[in-house]
Amino acid sequence: MAVSSMGNVAGAPSQRAQAQKRSPYPGWFYLPAAIIYAVLFLAPTFASLYFSLTRWTLFDSVFIGFDNFAQFFREPFLVKGLVNTLIYAVVTSGLKVVIGMALAIMLTSQIVARGYLRSVIFFPVLVSTVGVGITFTVLMHPTQGMINETLALFGIAGPGWLVDPRLALFSVALVDVWKGVGLATVIYIAGVVAIPKDYYEAARIDGATKWQNFRYVTLPLMRPATATVITLSFIGGLRTFDLIWAMTKGGPGFASDTIASVIYKQYQAGFYGLSTAGNVVLFVLIAVLVVPLTMLLNRKQGHE
Amino acid sequence: MKQRASLLGGVAAIVATFVVFVIPFLFIILMAFKDRQQSALRDFSWPTGFHLWDNVFEVVKTRNWMMITAFINSSIITVASVSLLVVFAAMVGFILARRKTRWNPLIEFLILAGLMVPPAVVPTIWVLQGLKLFGTLHGMILIEVAYNLPFSIILYRAFIATIPKDMDEAAIIDGARPLDVFFRIILPMLWPVTVTNIVVQSVGIFNDFTNPLYYLPGNANATVQLTLFNFQSQFSTAYNLLFTNILLITIPPLIVFLFFNRQIVAGMTAGAVKG
Amino acid sequence: MAGLELKALRKSYGDLEVIKGVDLHIEHGEFVVFVGPSGCGKSTLLRMIAGLEEISAGELVIGDRVVNEVEPRDRGIAMVFQSYALYPHMTVYDNVGFGLMLAKTPREVRDKKIREAARILQMEHLLNRKPSQLSGGQRQRVAIGRAIVRQPEVFLFDEPLSNLDAALRVDMRMELARLHQDLGATMIYVTHDQVEAMTLADKIVVLDGGVVQQVGSPIELYQRPANLFVAGFIGSPKMNLLPAIVDAVEGDVVRVSSKDLAATAIRASGEGLKPGDSVTLGVRPHALTPTESGSVVGQVALVERLGNETNVSITLPSGTSFMAVLDGDRALRPSGSIVLGFNPADALLFDGAGLAR
Repeated sequence: MAVSSMGNVAGAPSQRAQAQKRSPYPGWFYLPAAIIYAVLFLAPTFASLYFSLTRWTLFDSVFIGFDNFAQFFREPFLVKGLVNTLIYAVVTSGLKVVIGMALAIMLTSQIVARGYLRSVIFFPVLVSTVGVGITFTVLMHPTQGMINETLALFGIAGPGWLVDPRLALFSVALVDVWKGVGLATVIYIAGVVAIPKDYYEAARIDGATKWQNFRYVTLPLMRPATATVITLSFIGGLRTFDLIWAMTKGGPGFASDTIASVIYKQYQAGFYGLSTAGNVVLFVLIAVLVVPLTMLLNRKQGHE
Repeated sequence: MKQRASLLGGVAAIVATFVVFVIPFLFIILMAFKDRQQSALRDFSWPTGFHLWDNVFEVVKTRNWMMITAFINSSIITVASVSLLVVFAAMVGFILARRKTRWNPLIEFLILAGLMVPPAVVPTIWVLQGLKLFGTLHGMILIEVAYNLPFSIILYRAFIATIPKDMDEAAIIDGARPLDVFFRIILPMLWPVTVTNIVVQSVGIFNDFTNPLYYLPGNANATVQLTLFNFQSQFSTAYNLLFTNILLITIPPLIVFLFFNRQIVAGMTAGAVKG
Repeated sequence: MAGLELKALRKSYGDLEVIKGVDLHIEHGEFVVFVGPSGCGKSTLLRMIAGLEEISAGELVIGDRVVNEVEPRDRGIAMVFQSYALYPHMTVYDNVGFGLMLAKTPREVRDKKIREAARILQMEHLLNRKPSQLSGGQRQRVAIGRAIVRQPEVFLFDEPLSNLDAALRVDMRMELARLHQDLGATMIYVTHDQVEAMTLADKIVVLDGGVVQQVGSPIELYQRPANLFVAGFIGSPKMNLLPAIVDAVEGDVVRVSSKDLAATAIRASGEGLKPGDSVTLGVRPHALTPTESGSVVGQVALVERLGNETNVSITLPSGTSFMAVLDGDRALRPSGSIVLGFNPADALLFDGAGLAR
């Protein structure tokens, strides 16, 4: 204490060191999370960049350059997986946006049994994806399934939902929308509820019709919600695995394979390098598509 | 006039949602009540007898009581990983919201990356094997923590930003050390988000199929989602048991839904309205 | 016994210096008010004393210890926050007792101290409530109770009344004054409200731009402001400040005049002043009276009749606004002409640097 008056000049660095030590917000609070995240997520992600360039047995790896990627873009069934992934992501997120928005507008209007409707639409979000997948596999059976049996009552010959190679991917996408649209809906409901009533009153004084209300008030002001729904469901769509696996296992043939199911199949077959290359492809795909997408969505939001 | 139109619309909506969203669940329930023969028809008929308890018993004891093991495993994984998530994510959210350094942008970037980037599966198995954690419940718990941290952190950080810093400072003046400030003041105040976090993450982790499939192979380590899969192949014709199984694993999320509907919706829509 | 000594205290964030060397001596038991406009550094200075902000340079002594590197809890201080910062998940009892619990005070002692604090603040009936069940004034009491119970040598208040409505603010102000008398502890109080400063303080510290402008008793500051800033800041309505030119300097008398001001002789130090220098004449609105022989002539712009007094806003020939507070009710006509005079002894003279002469 005797030297502390001198210490102002000479001891400035040590003062700073003490200041760090007694911060009420110690940096080590990051540590538990950081270690788990770094070891089990970041490290494998970086390791994947190397192992995707190898032929790999988990015990030893041989560097083979870009052969895995070359194979990925040469083999028709792998290319098919890539294309399917894109189709699946676009279809599911597109449908979730449109249907979710429509349901949200319906559920925020003066409609009867709002609570019931909200619960019923949202509940599938919480149910096991695999359970849903299996249930719909049964319902979508071409001859014994309830859907086609019901259609037959009206004299319609139902399609082979999951057995028709042209249709299988879309059938799974439809179930994905069935399960996930509840989340899009509640996000939109939150967006609609957050719009101040003043806008509608101002629009009413200006003589706006219902359609104009929607077009010029609701739609633009729901842009943040739309951005969230698109981003969430697009990423989810690109990464989708469990529903595909539960319903078609990528079949018939490779008709409904996605990158995620390819990754699993290659892993099962012991092609670890190729499987990891699939991971890197998916990683790059998400980076290349989602980053510009979110930037686009957010920039437009800024212009409003 | 207008009222009648909205009533009509309401009825139409109720009927439509009933057909689309409720009937599949009724189908599951009906199937679970049927005997094997009737369930093979896979139609929407009334059960000819009450076979639910038989089916449940059959499902539970199959494969040497695998269902029980699976429920225990899934419960352990869910409870342990959600507990760790709550504490670790709240700690990160707290420091991230309170302490502004030049590292913050990097941390935020890593959090966003964690939300978007798909985990690299085989390299993760390689790391887990190196740590002797592959195929263990411990490893599975840590994996769930790692993958779900970003979402929990985002929930917490947004909420902590609304707690005035005065709270921390009042506690510091009162003599609280950093751990006191966090565990006695901040963490209790985070209770609403903690409930949201617990509910949303529990449902997600309980329903997780993909990660146990990769990182937790072996029947002894089965989780409920995986048993469902095993059952499907084994009972490809025993639809009554398959759907009883689906019904059983739907009950936990249903309970959560009945009690915490509001928190789930709040958690899942967090961040949607901002901006 | 704990007085405080602030020696050349400085605080900077990177290149931005917000406290630019503050020297201050505070006696034990004094009620000191830091006052100034927002951003003047008064809260930062208080938080440096509390230990919530690092001291970049200088020395802080509380009692007889240098406390620059001492943790807040060991400084013998307690603080009341503007937002009260009550812990919402704890009852009033636990809020007040939190510090004691952390200090591992035995349960019985703690209980006694909490009840004693509650008795002093007349809030025994609130002990089992949660903060959300309290009114603004009650929360304020709890926040003060939390400070009292630690029996600090120094109380720190950061704008504690600014979240209360006007009537309650007056009550709490008196309560704080009573508390200061009863406890006899040193109190440091930050506010931007000069009425609080004038009524509560033994000593006011006026801050602006991170620099102490003046330290003194309320009356000193009112009667003898050290510079233009203090002159303009203390007193309501604000002091009128008229630019003027020195006509002549005769020892302790300075003669000044301007377009708006007839030649006036002011008693002030003429040292260093010479005819032709620009100066500023300060006259408080209350010092003005209507008189035929007054030195200020203007046009009535606005009249506010309050019954016991009348506020008159006047436009001077140069266009400058001028404020007068006249005794009693006066039915003045807007846009009419008015002549005002003042006793030169009540006027203040500031030189070109803004310092009082």
